[in-house]
Amino acid sequence: MKSIALNLLGNVSDAEDAVQEAFLKVYRGAARFRGGSSLSTWIYRILVNTCYDFLRRSRRRAEAPLPSRFAAAEGNTSDHPLRLSIESAVRRLEPRERASFLLVEVEGFSHREAGEILEVSETTSRALLFRAKKRLRKSLGAAGNLAPVEAS
Amino acid sequence: MKARCSDLEQALRRGDPERVASIEEHARECAACRRVLEDWRRISAAAPGLKKSWDSPELWPRIRQALAAKSQTSDGRTAAPGAWSWLPAAAIVALFAVATAGLWVFRNTAGRDPLASHWQTKKPLLTEQAVEEVDAAEKAYLASIEKLSRLAGPRLADTSSPVIVNYREKLNLLDSAIVELKSSIDQNRFNTHLRKELLAVYGEKQRTLQNLMKEAKS
Repeated sequence: MKSIALNLLGNVSDAEDAVQEAFLKVYRGAARFRGGSSLSTWIYRILVNTCYDFLRRSRRRAEAPLPSRFAAAEGNTSDHPLRLSIESAVRRLEPRERASFLLVEVEGFSHREAGEILEVSETTSRALLFRAKKRLRKSLGAAGNLAPVEAS
Repeated sequence: MKARCSDLEQALRRGDPERVASIEEHARECAACRRVLEDWRRISAAAPGLKKSWDSPELWPRIRQALAAKSQTSDGRTAAPGAWSWLPAAAIVALFAVATAGLWVFRNTAGRDPLASHWQTKKPLLTEQAVEEVDAAEKAYLASIEKLSRLAGPRLADTSSPVIVNYREKLNLLDSAIVELKSSIDQNRFNTHLRKELLAVYGEKQRTLQNLMKEAKS
């Protein structure tokens, strides 16, 4: 939860505040949970919406650079420069595209789950991810961060 | 049907394995499409590295305090509105920690819980006789839960029903909360608050299993 909030909001303080606010909303809104989706999907939906609220309230802070004291997920160390470039490019994506990319590609949710979290259809979730990756590719390519593929 | 360059975007947008396989076949002979596919894969491969973890020793106690404050201010009136009114704030945090961030979060913060010391020092303690009564109530719940679990077992094994999957998820969360509460009670079995919480969670597990059985009959 903290990770997705951080990647959506761009700073630790806001991420932790958003997680706390999301928990309180879950507590207050428990009566509305009817089992139509899984509990974790429902909680993530509240978290993502809370992060959107934070983004609306403090757009400037979302642009602040990420501190470097985090442990990244295991693996991908060989692709570290690319990961850093993606991290930076992701933060320039439109919020819904960013959320889609983070949920599916980073957190490993299926499109059905991501759709439930973002309150869109599975098809729209796929479209959001496609647009996000297309923009990322363009942005990374322009910055020379995607190495050319060897011709066969 | 053989794919062409113009099929690339549709294949990537839909993620349909058949289309992707077809475009991969095409990409063997098309450098431009091959490059797009390679970039696509590299972005996906690097993405999980964006997942961050960091220690937030104050966050979970802060959330627990906020929830407990909310629960106490509305105590006796509209505590934890609706579906989870049976579940006290501390147990809710345990459930959420398990449901979202993993059990380790709860375990990492459990030793620093300011409420735990509050309960242990400020709340009235049970007498020896009351503890025996609570023990008996817990045993009765456990016997009932065990019986219901045996009956519900085959139904819970059905992975094709989303409703059953949600029941199973809820039961798993309740079990996690029970483990955490029992672990806290082991340190002070006279703590009124914790014992009440555990009974409430046992009660909810019993009701959940009963509802599951009703669901199975309907």
